[in-house]
Amino acid sequence: MRNRLHLAALATCAAALATCTNNPYPDEDASKKVVYNTFVEAPKTLDPAVAYTTSAHAITGNIYDTLLEYHFLKRPYTLIPGIATEVPEPEPRTDGRVAYPFTLRPDLLYQDDPAFERGGKGRRTRGIVAADVAFELMRIADPAVNSPVIEPFSNLVGFREFSERLTERRKNEPGFAELPVPVQYERVGPIEGVRVLGPLELEILLANPYPQILYWFAMPFTTPVPWEAIEHYDGEEGRGHFADHPVGSGPFRLVQYDKQFRMVLEANPNWYGVRHPEWRAPGATYPDEGEPEDRQAGRLDPAVVGRPLPFLERIESRREKESIPRFNKFIQGYYDASGVIKESFDSVIENDRLSPTMKDRGVRLERSVAPSVYYMGFNMEDRVVGAAAGERGRRLRQAMSTAVDSKEWTRLFLNGRGVPAHSPLPPGIFGYESDYRNPFRTVDLDEARRLLKEAGYPGGIDPDTGKPLRLTFDSYQTTAQGLLQNQYFVDAWREIGLDVRIEASSYNQFQQKVRNGAYQIFSWGWVADYPDPENFLFLLTSEMARSRSGGPNTANFSNARYDQLFEKMKARENDAERLAMIREMLAILETERPWIELFHPEDYALYHGWLRNVKPAGMAFPTLKYRDLDPALREERRREWNRPVTWPAYALLAAGIAIVLPGVRTFYRERQ
Amino acid sequence: MLAYVARRLAYGVLTVFGVLFFLFVLFFTVTDPDDIARRALGEKALPEVIQQWKVNHGYDRPLWPWQDFDDNMLFEHYRRMLSFDFGRSDTDDSLITERIRKGAGPSLALTVPLFTLGLVVGITLSLLVAFFRETYIDSAGVFLCVLAMSVSILLYIVGAQYLIAKMLRWFPISGFDPNPEVIFRFLALPIVVGLMNGFGSDVRFYRTVFVEETGRDYVRTARAKGCGEGRIMMRHVLQNGMIPILTRVVLAIPFLFTGALLLEAFFGIPGLGSLTVDAIQGNDFSTLRTMVYIGSLLFILGQILTDVSYSLADPRVRLE
Repeated sequence: MRNRLHLAALATCAAALATCTNNPYPDEDASKKVVYNTFVEAPKTLDPAVAYTTSAHAITGNIYDTLLEYHFLKRPYTLIPGIATEVPEPEPRTDGRVAYPFTLRPDLLYQDDPAFERGGKGRRTRGIVAADVAFELMRIADPAVNSPVIEPFSNLVGFREFSERLTERRKNEPGFAELPVPVQYERVGPIEGVRVLGPLELEILLANPYPQILYWFAMPFTTPVPWEAIEHYDGEEGRGHFADHPVGSGPFRLVQYDKQFRMVLEANPNWYGVRHPEWRAPGATYPDEGEPEDRQAGRLDPAVVGRPLPFLERIESRREKESIPRFNKFIQGYYDASGVIKESFDSVIENDRLSPTMKDRGVRLERSVAPSVYYMGFNMEDRVVGAAAGERGRRLRQAMSTAVDSKEWTRLFLNGRGVPAHSPLPPGIFGYESDYRNPFRTVDLDEARRLLKEAGYPGGIDPDTGKPLRLTFDSYQTTAQGLLQNQYFVDAWREIGLDVRIEASSYNQFQQKVRNGAYQIFSWGWVADYPDPENFLFLLTSEMARSRSGGPNTANFSNARYDQLFEKMKARENDAERLAMIREMLAILETERPWIELFHPEDYALYHGWLRNVKPAGMAFPTLKYRDLDPALREERRREWNRPVTWPAYALLAAGIAIVLPGVRTFYRERQ
Repeated sequence: MLAYVARRLAYGVLTVFGVLFFLFVLFFTVTDPDDIARRALGEKALPEVIQQWKVNHGYDRPLWPWQDFDDNMLFEHYRRMLSFDFGRSDTDDSLITERIRKGAGPSLALTVPLFTLGLVVGITLSLLVAFFRETYIDSAGVFLCVLAMSVSILLYIVGAQYLIAKMLRWFPISGFDPNPEVIFRFLALPIVVGLMNGFGSDVRFYRTVFVEETGRDYVRTARAKGCGEGRIMMRHVLQNGMIPILTRVVLAIPFLFTGALLLEAFFGIPGLGSLTVDAIQGNDFSTLRTMVYIGSLLFILGQILTDVSYSLADPRVRLE
């Protein structure tokens, strides 16, 4: 009997070992077109009027359809019609205003949602109308929504006035603030520059020429939003908040949203691309043209060209806070795409190319320079480093700029993943010229020392104190890694004799210092909202100065000629005259040096061979509807790569028995 | 015993009041509600939006009763905590009660089997080494226990993820899925790590208890009467060694609900431990104070349960 029990126990152990698997997914999903992604932190909000982070747009961009969108393959980025029938042409008016007429496609439906019961019993969806776009624009203007993009939409005629009327009535009219939001908007009246001309016709009227407004209609901020969803998801009676319950009309819909754990998108059967493939709408059909490299990369495969979208059934995003387990699961084939983590960089990339091991696994590397810039800035209102110091301050900034080697910095801290920046404009943006070399961004310590001498600080010595000139570098980087990264710059300045002290504080304290103007040098970054030089060069206009308007010009740079050129440049198409203006603006920045431009980050993304139609977008615009995968190949590879190694378990068991058994025998022998 | 329990409960209430006051001072006198709001809403938030957020979260009141006796944050803090109305998270406005409800399942899915297996493994191994006391099995056991106790749990986690999950491919490296088909795969590795981390101290402690018991007169008497060694260990020694074991065990039971902080955080299990770690990292004060408050309640409950279980396990112990 006892022997039988032992045998049964051993058999159970053996069976348990035989069924061991590291596959984190149910077996039934193996043959489905499900893409597995990861996220570190869930977005704070999925409200399209508010969500502004890349991680949020990765979700909202696929749930909410936009009037316009970007061509998947063409570079430079090109706008194509989304749920609008065409990209509108500007219609200048005699009073200097500019109108953009939009027409929505007919028979567009929202995803099914219980919120639509508000419009009629048993209703699960309804058609999209132009008024839904106007409603969303009112939400952006509503101060209570806290949209971060109020500024660009202030170009709409009557936008600010709507906001003021709403605030006024909420403040002064008893009971008004308690009314449902759509009712409040209705009572306040529309935004003057957003005119609903018919069920599907909408006209946008701008007070001044602002061609970049079209890019905003390719972002989820301007998506049609059903008033029923805003009214329904008010957080009362267990209904949750609209920020967690997106109700859109895009190619996917959110079916599971657990911020701690998992987000699941599923193909939306109500999407116009699914219901009307015969339209062959540009945003609902795989493109048939792109760049020459797209053909080489298989992105213009005749098998997919012209096919209706989307190809995927589901997208599962699982929370992975730790980078190493996340990367290991990619290597095991359980995630379809990954970035390159610092810890594994050398085993993945060899001589700037994919390592043979990775190539053998069928992994592809896609590199792209993000449309963003990282920089250090000087507070131009500071009496030592700023404009008030006149030529002395200018020379000091030039000297400090010439001493900083950002190429070496990216090599040390980012495995070289960054293009040294010579101006605020990154590659791929109109006005970027690859042969342009900023003399003050070309490292030359002797030149830096000479400039410092001209500034009146020979050898870095401040004549007032007889000691090295002491400056402060304010940073919100408080981690050991962050401090080390900043120390690199401080050491570079020490080489030319300056005594720069890092003052690291929490992000909030740092923000407080910025608000109070109590800073000299800082570091920051900017990621483009849309691919236009205006979206970078506005960061240094007087109007955007932090001290004046709380805008993003933290350097508080103010130059009349620069502002004048900016106003002209932003309203022009990409032509030679615009390029000339940009060149002049960059020349001003080159001399004045409110920034030390550091680098434009380069993204390295890895994809398994079974994932198809992948093209790094740089900006956060949705591309999931174009992706496809081969589940059979994936399953085959996963099985091949993940066979459990069971012999150590048996060896361990045998070793345990070998150790214990003689002891037991000896014990009983001695007892007897 | 009832009088004793009532007295302990009264002490517990006082302790809870003290903990709540300490929490209030810790969270609200060192952090400005404006900063909390700005963190949640972003730097560009308008003053009226910040004000509305503070009203929604109850942070718009004066701090102390002497500033406004009828409407102040201290009394509101007590009211909310004592009525289990925890409000909304500072970071994403979600209901904290809902987050706790969602997190309790994954936490219990990890901690209950870990606790049960830990108890079974700990007692079995300690009985084994006590049975083979003063042999090389005992010495090897002591060596292994001390070794296990000396290693940090972080090393176990990283080592197990590398060796068992990555190299041997027995289980997923991390993650969680409540689907019954796959849940075991995700829980196996954290349970193995939890057992490795806990067995050293458990076995050492239980062994000491059992070895002490085996030297007692009743064991000698049982042996003299011809009782087998196995029966002595299982029927007599185990039963009499239960009191000190209960101290450890009962105290730990309430904390099964709060999850295992490090295991959940590193293995990506969306339980209450992970929620607490996220709250710390995300400066989510409202969630953090709730978790600290629940932790203190469970600790007091554990203390009372331990005392009661003493008297149930040993008739000589009377609670007066």
